[in-house]
Amino acid sequence: MLALLFILFAGLAIGCAISMVAQRNPLYSAISLIGVFISLACLYVTLAAPFIAAVQVIVYAGAIMVLVVFVIMLLNVEEEERRPLRMRALVPVAIGLAAVLFAETVFIIFFVQASPATPTRNLSDVGLTSSIGAGLFTSYLLPFEITSVLLLMAIVGAITLARRGGLLPARAGVVPGDQVLPRGMLDRRDPGNRTPVATHTTKEAGRLLGVEQRRDEGE
Amino acid sequence: MECGDKSPPAKSMEDLKQAALMLVGILIAFTVVMTMFAYTTLTERRFLGFIQGRLGPNRVGPGGLLQPVADLIKLICKEDIVPDKSTRFVYFLAPVIVTTTALMSLIVYPFGPEIHLPILGTIRLVIARFDVALLYVLGVTSVGVYGIALAGWSSNNKYSLMGGLRSSAQMISYELALGLALIGVILQSGTLDLYSIVEQQAGHLGISGWNVFWLQPLGFLIYLIAAIAETNRVPFDLPEAETELVAGFHTEYSAMKFGLFFVAEYLNMFTVSMLATTLFLGGWNGPFVREVPWLGVFYFFGKVILFLFLYIWLRGTLPRFRFDQLMSFGWKFLVPLAIINIVITATIEWSGVFDLISKYVKVSAGWWG
Repeated sequence: MLALLFILFAGLAIGCAISMVAQRNPLYSAISLIGVFISLACLYVTLAAPFIAAVQVIVYAGAIMVLVVFVIMLLNVEEEERRPLRMRALVPVAIGLAAVLFAETVFIIFFVQASPATPTRNLSDVGLTSSIGAGLFTSYLLPFEITSVLLLMAIVGAITLARRGGLLPARAGVVPGDQVLPRGMLDRRDPGNRTPVATHTTKEAGRLLGVEQRRDEGE
Repeated sequence: MECGDKSPPAKSMEDLKQAALMLVGILIAFTVVMTMFAYTTLTERRFLGFIQGRLGPNRVGPGGLLQPVADLIKLICKEDIVPDKSTRFVYFLAPVIVTTTALMSLIVYPFGPEIHLPILGTIRLVIARFDVALLYVLGVTSVGVYGIALAGWSSNNKYSLMGGLRSSAQMISYELALGLALIGVILQSGTLDLYSIVEQQAGHLGISGWNVFWLQPLGFLIYLIAAIAETNRVPFDLPEAETELVAGFHTEYSAMKFGLFFVAEYLNMFTVSMLATTLFLGGWNGPFVREVPWLGVFYFFGKVILFLFLYIWLRGTLPRFRFDQLMSFGWKFLVPLAIINIVITATIEWSGVFDLISKYVKVSAGWWG
């Protein structure tokens, strides 16, 4: 039964992974990636790690990928055209690395499994919420704290990058989809001035803002 | 489920029995919930009519009681129009995702205590009980966002797209406040297992132990607001604001595909109501549940129906938010409030005041057994 479930979800994960790489529409790639995450979560459940499975779905499938899909939808990313392959030299390297990965898997299957099994401790509480929590806050406290600092750094970095020389001053206060721009956004010397400047089309707003229109969008 | 260590054949028999019980449980739960869905729509229409001083649907059957059946037949028989330039596969996938995720979270709610049946012996009235039930609910709900976002994107319609975008932005924002509001309850009960959380809330008469009275009135309020936003209901129904967006993300959906979105919206209402009942209002706890376990089922569904009534009432009385108001309300008011709630709960838990009081009022349920 477990083997059957494993084959089902592993196959699904691999299929979705291949589809993610092969798709040219970014949204299809994103959907395939969600499929990979959910199949992995199912695999975690069969491995008696329900907490990891739930967190996998909440964090990856539920939060990160929603943002990715959101951005793809918002920017209306087009299908990527089939381009001539750049950096052909990297293809043999990739094949070599794939071979190493495969060899590692074979090594694990044949040699590690052949070695006498090490006695494991009572597995009944492994993977449960309380044991994971206890582990995180006792024996793995330092890595846990370091990871949180790392995440904080990423957040601060993202804010810094987004603010540096961007188009929108921090107090722009634009409603998404609104085409009434505050004057402070157009005039960089006068930030925070919210006297409205009305524009009638997206194109006009873009011209005023100095954003180049890459292609003609039908109004 | 919970099987002891037995000899292999006996164990497999036990497994089989458990699996069969689970399947029957799922079947019953789905049937009950679908019936509830049908009659919630009818109640909503009749009750909205009452609020707005009109009659509502009252022609099909006595008092309109057969109206849901008529609606179902109409939805199934209508022509299913697929927009010409839609992204075909995603367009079909979206309602499936929405309905599946809405149904999936139903299995973890404990809707009654242990009961004794003549043949089957003692069974717990919960379909699947596991360690991370609460996280499972949150995870499944968060996957449901895709259905709406993809429906908006794949319809190739600007109103749908705007509806989908609004909806995903709103659901991401309010999911945060929702999750943070639940942390107070988790801190207090020390488990993610919904069945244990309900069991802990038994007190005098099965009422005094409810989490909403115990440190969590603020958490309950935050949860309630976030839950209404999470289900895209009035006053947070921006994704389908008909004055601006026609019908939002399901503008291009017709016939039963629209029906599935409709089902999912109500199922999500049930889900958040059941979660609120389980976590804050003591689940199946109520007077005399220990003596007559069957009463628990009625208490549970009674509380859920109370929430549904609240939803309808709000829809009849409140105007809609503006989108930027909605966002700033979520991020600048609800999330900080939820964090304050966590800090308060954690401080009181840590100081032990709560344990001291609960020793007298909550746990020692003395004379009611």
